[in-house]
Amino acid sequence: MNLIYVLLIIGVVLVFWVISTYNFFVSSKTRVGAAIQEIGNQLKRQAELIPNLESSAKGYLTHEKEIFNELTAARKAISSAVSSGNVNKMADAGKMLSDVLPKIQVVVESNPEIKGAEVVKDLMDQLRDTSDKVMYARRLMIDLTADYNVKLVTVPSSLVAGLFHFEKLKGFETPEDGAEMKVTGEEMKTPKVKL
Amino acid sequence: MKNIYEVQSANKIRTAVIVAGFVVFVFLAVYILTNAFGYYMGYQPGGLGYFGMAFIVSGISSFFSYYYSDKIVLGISGARRANPQEDRLFTQVAENLSIGAGIPKPKLYVIEDSAPNAFATGRDPEHAVICVTTGLLSKLDRTELEGVMAHEISHIRNYDIRLMSVVSVMVGLVALLGDWFLRVRFFGGGRNRDSDSGSLGAIMIIVGIIFAILSPIIAQLIQLAISRRREFTADAGSVGITRQPQGLISALEKIASDTEPLEAANKATAHLYIVNPFKKSSNKAVATFAGLFNTHPPIPERIKALKSMA
Repeated sequence: MNLIYVLLIIGVVLVFWVISTYNFFVSSKTRVGAAIQEIGNQLKRQAELIPNLESSAKGYLTHEKEIFNELTAARKAISSAVSSGNVNKMADAGKMLSDVLPKIQVVVESNPEIKGAEVVKDLMDQLRDTSDKVMYARRLMIDLTADYNVKLVTVPSSLVAGLFHFEKLKGFETPEDGAEMKVTGEEMKTPKVKL
Repeated sequence: MKNIYEVQSANKIRTAVIVAGFVVFVFLAVYILTNAFGYYMGYQPGGLGYFGMAFIVSGISSFFSYYYSDKIVLGISGARRANPQEDRLFTQVAENLSIGAGIPKPKLYVIEDSAPNAFATGRDPEHAVICVTTGLLSKLDRTELEGVMAHEISHIRNYDIRLMSVVSVMVGLVALLGDWFLRVRFFGGGRNRDSDSGSLGAIMIIVGIIFAILSPIIAQLIQLAISRRREFTADAGSVGITRQPQGLISALEKIASDTEPLEAANKATAHLYIVNPFKKSSNKAVATFAGLFNTHPPIPERIKALKSMA
């Protein structure tokens, strides 16, 4: 009689555990989806900031046509990536923009007249902020994916995952051709800084 | 060298151990006190009993302080709402970190005080409040501010305010029971003292007195130990969000080297802040003993833990 009760309790606990683990996987998946949308959202915000930057800084940056062309290209790439909803395209487009930003920074730093302008200062600040936002949105997605994938392969939650056929989430695709594991001779040298 | 994941899970386990020990201790103390009470009075009341009464009183008071914690604390410390234009860095950092942590953006408040400090409160991430002093905003750079804010956001994300409220209900419970027991010992005469069940009753009463005196202190010490453990956890969580231990390390160093006490803080709100707002000049000999009564671990120890993650 006692044994039946013990078994019953164990059974109930087990069922609750399976349900909560199942819910973890399902809700994690949804949250990763939301995190991807958040990345798109932040990239869009960034893209919308660029026309402002262009119009207010154009007067100062007349000689830097090339930078503006790159900015426009980055903006187009971002809008098309966001509308496609593909994480990796979003990441690439975001990278295009973050490659242009240091160039603007160099121009601003080397030109005291521009550097002093309140508008430009303000915009540089906004740009740093918006790229931070994109970075944190990506961080969230990476963290959520990692949590999910860890539970997927560790015992005992892996048993539930196997039962309901949950699959590994990809996250960001990074090139894994082995090049990132190698150190070139160039990288071994201590960088020299000339002042 | 430990990575942040190991630190975080180690912190979780240690908190669980302390909390479990705390719950066991509270149950033991409550059991002994209610029994001794019963022996002393010569009868056990029906219904809720002494335990129930103490639980209700302690529960109600703590529930109010928990449910309205944000309003109470903000009222006491005289904080004003942050202005997105004026406190732009603060607002931006808060927005960015809440994106990274995956929580809604907390309400932001500023205390006009030149001593650098910060705290978080509110019962859950939807009602969270982060409050910083103007001193903190002016003395820290962006990376350091991110470290401090991420520490506060970890408190919110870990439901530390909820945990500490539950703990304080239990501390209040033990304290009340102990207090009541001692009161009736002095003022109320036990009715059936002669018809007591002999030596067992006498022993129970003596043990009860000892528990009535000691257990509120012990319960409070465990509460403080939990609080210190949560600080370490929030530090690790901060690194988990920013991945820049150096930011929080140099922020803590800056805050620690600042000798100005925070005027807006008082004893009731001290445990909320990122570092102890009173900054007692520490005498090494009594430091270890005094450490038991601290809500926060010493800053050098926190920095050491952070450096091991760097």
